[in-house]
Amino acid sequence: MKTYLLASFTLLLACCYVGIIGTTFAADPDAGEMEMLVFPENYKPMAVNNGGTISGVVKFEGDKPEMKVLEITKDPKVCGATEKYDESVVVGEDNALKNTIVYLIDITGGKDFDKEAKLEMDQKGCKFTPHVQIVPLETRLTMLNNDRVNHNVHIFSNINTPVNKQQTKNRRRMPLAGVKKAEGPVAVKCDIHGWMSAWIAYVPHPYFAVTNEKGEFTLEDVPAGEYKLGYWHEACGTNSEAPATVTVEAGSTVAQDFTLKLK
Amino acid sequence: MKIRTIAFLLILFGTLAVFSLTYAQNAPEASERGKEVYENSCAHCHGIEGRGDGSAAENLLPKPRDFTRGLYKIRSTEAGQLPTDQDLFDIITVGMPGSSMPEWETALSTEERWQVVAYIKTFYEGFKENENPPKQITLEGKISYAEQSVEIGKELYVELGCVECHGNVGRGDGTSAPTLTDSWGFQTWPANLTQGWNYRGGADTEDIFKRFIGGIAGSPMPAFEGDSFLNFGLTAEESKRLIELENRDEMTEAEEEESGKFYEKMDTAVDIALSIKEGAEMSAAEMQTYNDAMKVVYEKSWHLANYVKSLMPEKRPEPAIGNNVLRSQYVQGTLPAIDDAVWETFEAGYFPLVGQVVIEPRQFNPTIDGVHVKSFYSDTEVAFLFVWDDRTHTTGDEIDEATGKPLEDALAVQFPVKVPQGPTAPKPYFLGGGRLPVYLWHWKASTPEQVTELTAKGINNAEAQEAQGELQVQSTYIDGQYKLWVKRALKTEDKKDLQLEPGVFVPIAFSAWDGSNGDVDTKRTMTSWYTFTLEPVPSSRRFVYPPIIAILSVGLLFGLRAFVQRRNTEDV
Repeated sequence: MKTYLLASFTLLLACCYVGIIGTTFAADPDAGEMEMLVFPENYKPMAVNNGGTISGVVKFEGDKPEMKVLEITKDPKVCGATEKYDESVVVGEDNALKNTIVYLIDITGGKDFDKEAKLEMDQKGCKFTPHVQIVPLETRLTMLNNDRVNHNVHIFSNINTPVNKQQTKNRRRMPLAGVKKAEGPVAVKCDIHGWMSAWIAYVPHPYFAVTNEKGEFTLEDVPAGEYKLGYWHEACGTNSEAPATVTVEAGSTVAQDFTLKLK
Repeated sequence: MKIRTIAFLLILFGTLAVFSLTYAQNAPEASERGKEVYENSCAHCHGIEGRGDGSAAENLLPKPRDFTRGLYKIRSTEAGQLPTDQDLFDIITVGMPGSSMPEWETALSTEERWQVVAYIKTFYEGFKENENPPKQITLEGKISYAEQSVEIGKELYVELGCVECHGNVGRGDGTSAPTLTDSWGFQTWPANLTQGWNYRGGADTEDIFKRFIGGIAGSPMPAFEGDSFLNFGLTAEESKRLIELENRDEMTEAEEEESGKFYEKMDTAVDIALSIKEGAEMSAAEMQTYNDAMKVVYEKSWHLANYVKSLMPEKRPEPAIGNNVLRSQYVQGTLPAIDDAVWETFEAGYFPLVGQVVIEPRQFNPTIDGVHVKSFYSDTEVAFLFVWDDRTHTTGDEIDEATGKPLEDALAVQFPVKVPQGPTAPKPYFLGGGRLPVYLWHWKASTPEQVTELTAKGINNAEAQEAQGELQVQSTYIDGQYKLWVKRALKTEDKKDLQLEPGVFVPIAFSAWDGSNGDVDTKRTMTSWYTFTLEPVPSSRRFVYPPIIAILSVGLLFGLRAFVQRRNTEDV
């Protein structure tokens, strides 16, 4: 009885204390601040003949940041065989910025998705590859486990149902159900290996590209017309408020480069 | 008469139930009244806008729920579904053990609680959009608790990877435990499965089962959904065989083929499960395949729930007060060492710990539940065994920024220097006072074979004694549990030490620090004063005195009789 009294007393004190201090505080350290992609309301697939191409290079402004080495706190034999880096900013030669999504904001009609494309995200050496993955709506993404350790695929969706699935060490392939609503990018984490991090964008049309090591992107078969061209980068944010305008002409290529800096 | 009363009560409750349901469903009206109740009783923690950011939220862990994302931990519904109104009502009514969410059964009327349910639902659009009621988890086919079921569950515990977070024997000490965060990015600890009384949603087998099937939304705990469940689509035997094959370094050709067939079967079942989730129409045969596969998932989940149930005592141990005070047992000769099996032969005294919130820095979110203590004494010495659960083994590698001191796990045992005499004598001031100092034993994880003796005259006024080395110490940290063994002579030369004597009731108190929870100095968990005693040896004289007294009494009686008889004879 005494204990419970003490416990209640403690709780009471706690309440008084916080009551006095009465500070407001932001509940959410990361989520919410992350900027999102912009999707058209209605996208209609149609045949595209003699479309144009948008291509360019995304560069990082400023000194090439040193990549942080991640602390491997678990399964060192599998996860720590090679050094792992924080991939939130990957800058290559000539300041090329990898893992930037470049996409058409306001397209309402164009080609359909490549239905044959295999969508896979690998978990190897306790690292997600690729770091940024585009997933068409109603399409399954297959999670691979090439590690022989337990992983836990946790996708922090807000609009679609969040995914949290144990992928046990022997489960080489685990397909995930397709989703119905455009969203993202949303964070992907492995709760078992807290440093593992990736991003998934569920998109309603195929005009999305992710920049490679050289910072390059290409959007092909774009129907001729004027478009808003947007980008998204994990650490540099988006240009959704002031996107670039590009004019695509049939059968030709238009160039558009971007230079991004940290938010 | 009785039947009539029961009937009356039934009707009464029935009417009440209907009323209450109407309250929840008549959302607009009820939610308006719910707003008032919410803002008076809930908003301090959960925030005016339901974002979990009330004024008290900063100091709480686990954080108060943010209602705007529709992620509810404790549900009777399947993975990815919203809770039922009843789920919300129940959580408000009974609270969430082990967190700051209290029960509201006493403070709010049934009506008010239903109104709050209606109001909370307005914070998340999903409740409006969802016309279909959420799909509830069926408890049919429950597998009762039995040793065999527990054994199967124990294997699953490893196969499914529960150990990663919950640890080898379930103390929440898995190697992934220190890095877990929730869907808002806040740190979160896996449940210590051996402490059923701290389970947020109750520790009945059914409760545990529901957490498996539905998952704990917003936390790292995954749901046991069909499509992702280990070897989904295989029978229990097939699954066992496949695990056996896969754990081999190399497979023969025949074995490769065998496992290939298993994989085909699994792929088919997974494909059906995903299609159902995606809203596709399924044939009767496909539904059959799916239902058969889900039956295995449910069965395995019941086995695992039974195993988890087996990890906890039937109820929370009673604190060591009243008839339950800590009694040191007398043994002749040498006292048992830390690993002696004799320690297992009797119940420990249990001392629940609470966060220290009186003096800055405070601990509002304790991670150590309590300390279990046993003791033996001999003619010359006393030995204590202190046992407590701590999810992490922290030995001071990290430095606390505020105090500049290392963060490490520790335990302190506190006695008065002089035992207060008589029932009305003042106990020493709670944390040691100038007039009545306390005698402390302080053990730290970084020096596991050493306990420092201190004299304290207040919480920030402790001094190590000049004479050390009177204590013998052993300690272990295994599977999320510390064991500390301390031995001392009953009587010492040091005047600042407590001197022990059988039969005397001695005040005792504890403090514990969990370094990984930021515990340092006064930021710690503690108990108030309890009592322990060296249980006096039942004296062997009890076999001597009673017969002697009996013989003497009988002799006296006979003597008296003889005397009276003689006098009577003389009189005649």
